[in-house]
Amino acid sequence: MIAIETFSLTKKFGSFTAVRDLSFKVKEGIIFGLLGPNGAGKTTTLRMIYGALKPTSGIAKILGVDVAKEPLKAKKLMGILPEDTGIYPRLTAEENLIYFGKLRGMERSTLEMRIDNLLGILKLEKKRYIIADKLSRGQKQKVAFARAILDEPPILLLDEPTLGVDVMSAREIRRLIKEYASSGKTVMLSTHNMWEVEKLCGRIGIISNGQLRYIGSKDELEKLAGEKEFEDVFIRLVRGETIETV
Amino acid sequence: MKLFKGSSGIVKLSRGFGRKGYSLPDKPWLVVAWKELLEALRDKRTMINVVLLPMIIMPIVIALPMMMLNPKTVPPKILVVVEDKEAIDLARSIKKLHNESGAYVSITANGGNYANLILNRGIDLIVEILPGFSRNISLGKSGYIIYYYDPYGTRSSVAMSMVQEIIEKYSERILNERLAAVNLSERYIRPIDTIVKQITSTGKVATTSEVMTAMILPMMVGLIAITGAGTFAIDMIAGERERKTIEALFTAPVSRGEILLGKFSALTILSIVSGISTLLSALIGIGLAVTSLVEATSVAHPQISQLIEASKLPYVTAGILITVALGGLTGNAIMVIAASFAKTFKEAQQYVGFLTFILILPMIAIPYAPQSIYSILRILPISSLAMFARDIIVNPGDIMPVTTSLASSIIYLVAFLWLSSKMFGRESVIYG
Repeated sequence: MIAIETFSLTKKFGSFTAVRDLSFKVKEGIIFGLLGPNGAGKTTTLRMIYGALKPTSGIAKILGVDVAKEPLKAKKLMGILPEDTGIYPRLTAEENLIYFGKLRGMERSTLEMRIDNLLGILKLEKKRYIIADKLSRGQKQKVAFARAILDEPPILLLDEPTLGVDVMSAREIRRLIKEYASSGKTVMLSTHNMWEVEKLCGRIGIISNGQLRYIGSKDELEKLAGEKEFEDVFIRLVRGETIETV
Repeated sequence: MKLFKGSSGIVKLSRGFGRKGYSLPDKPWLVVAWKELLEALRDKRTMINVVLLPMIIMPIVIALPMMMLNPKTVPPKILVVVEDKEAIDLARSIKKLHNESGAYVSITANGGNYANLILNRGIDLIVEILPGFSRNISLGKSGYIIYYYDPYGTRSSVAMSMVQEIIEKYSERILNERLAAVNLSERYIRPIDTIVKQITSTGKVATTSEVMTAMILPMMVGLIAITGAGTFAIDMIAGERERKTIEALFTAPVSRGEILLGKFSALTILSIVSGISTLLSALIGIGLAVTSLVEATSVAHPQISQLIEASKLPYVTAGILITVALGGLTGNAIMVIAASFAKTFKEAQQYVGFLTFILILPMIAIPYAPQSIYSILRILPISSLAMFARDIIVNPGDIMPVTTSLASSIIYLVAFLWLSSKMFGRESVIYG
């Protein structure tokens, strides 16, 4: 089944077109990476998919649900980690999770159990009662990640999940993303970290100047670019003028 | 104790409320309201806006000027210089002020350097009874007394009014004796007498306390509407945007209307708490001010309960609660609209500061506005709220003015709420 689907998705801010005519499909159970340089339109694309931005034209669907027409139903199917963690600094790590768990309609017992479990997995038990303002960037990112997977949604959308995070925390987050996908869930992440894409993603979309240039597996993209180093693959494909789908 | 390790102060105190979140019912607006209240509890500005400002500063601002006029607060120092030995009785009458008001009164036969005594030695008033004072009076002439005082000192003015009252009584006694000696009555030298009668819409006589309450309270209510929970309103919109939490919030499967409803619910609670604490402290301030004023002018002492007539109390209480809730919501809706244009808390404060200035003007003008424009004030935004508070204090039984100002206030509130909901969901508000 198709987990994420977009048809001619376009977003304009005044006269500037941030995303142009973007169409792609992501199958269930894979990790899809949206790779592109800064300002390529990765965040805008994700924001349209998770319903924070209204597309100027085009459609985004989550498991067949039109995000613009049924935003609440679509949001229920997604766990989201936005570009900024969005952690409330005056709430403790636990309260941040309670807040979003309750907004997602979780029952008390399930929520309590899940928070205990996630804080344990993310090694945040000792930070449970600490206000988020006193947490490190990595710890905040982990709390935000826990928030995204709190009710185990079938689709996870992550915008630069390891940006600004220390090496150890980044490694842990990558491990968790892999684990989450291995349970049959779909993950879509945006990043400009080649290594991360190489290690994590089964399918990769290369976006540049608001347009999707190529989609394929790592091997397919390497073959297309005629390069072995993925960084070289990326540079070559981003500079390429032809739009192709492998 | 282990449970509290790593946390501190207000976080520890409010942690119980934080964990209450687990048992909240499945109502998103209630969850949002819980989170907003929890954040407000942990914000230092809450203490300043809800406790410090209204409960401590307000009574001081209202009552201090009046209390300073009360000689018992800071007793003045009076020096009576008696240069006519036969006038000692008058000097002793002045000395009695010590028992009545606590003023320090000293009597001396030699004056000295009066300027030095007043400017450098802490004397507030020097009363000099000149030589020949008693002889002149016995001859049917005028006896002379000179007051030396500091025109910039409040205590000097207070001391002078106290002494003048004694001298006037003394003078009146002599005048009556002189009139009696020539078979004339006091009316002979006072051909015109004036009588003061109040005209009120209720037909009842209003006390000084009631008049002050009716003047100050509506202004207070208006100020609460504008400033009550303003900081929280800015924080909930511009602050959320500045801390970049608003996007994460909008990823939750909850409608923006429900989020706003939750935020307004929390703001209403904060407004009511802040409003009631402001009003109570204003009433205490007015009570203290009236008591001081009355003591200073030697009129019978009033009770604080006399600030509002007992029969009106239920209407006034209900009216004030309605006004505070309506005012708080209206003010918050306006703040939400203003804050929606700002990217940061600071920027929002600047917009709100300007807006506050514009909206506060009719509030200040209401106590001085002529009756002829009351009907206009009842249908204007914000002033309708203050007029509602005034109408319900002055004459709760007069249905027409009360319903007009109440209906106008509700209509404006709905309009502001609608506008704020439109502004809150805009993309430019979140990402602009």
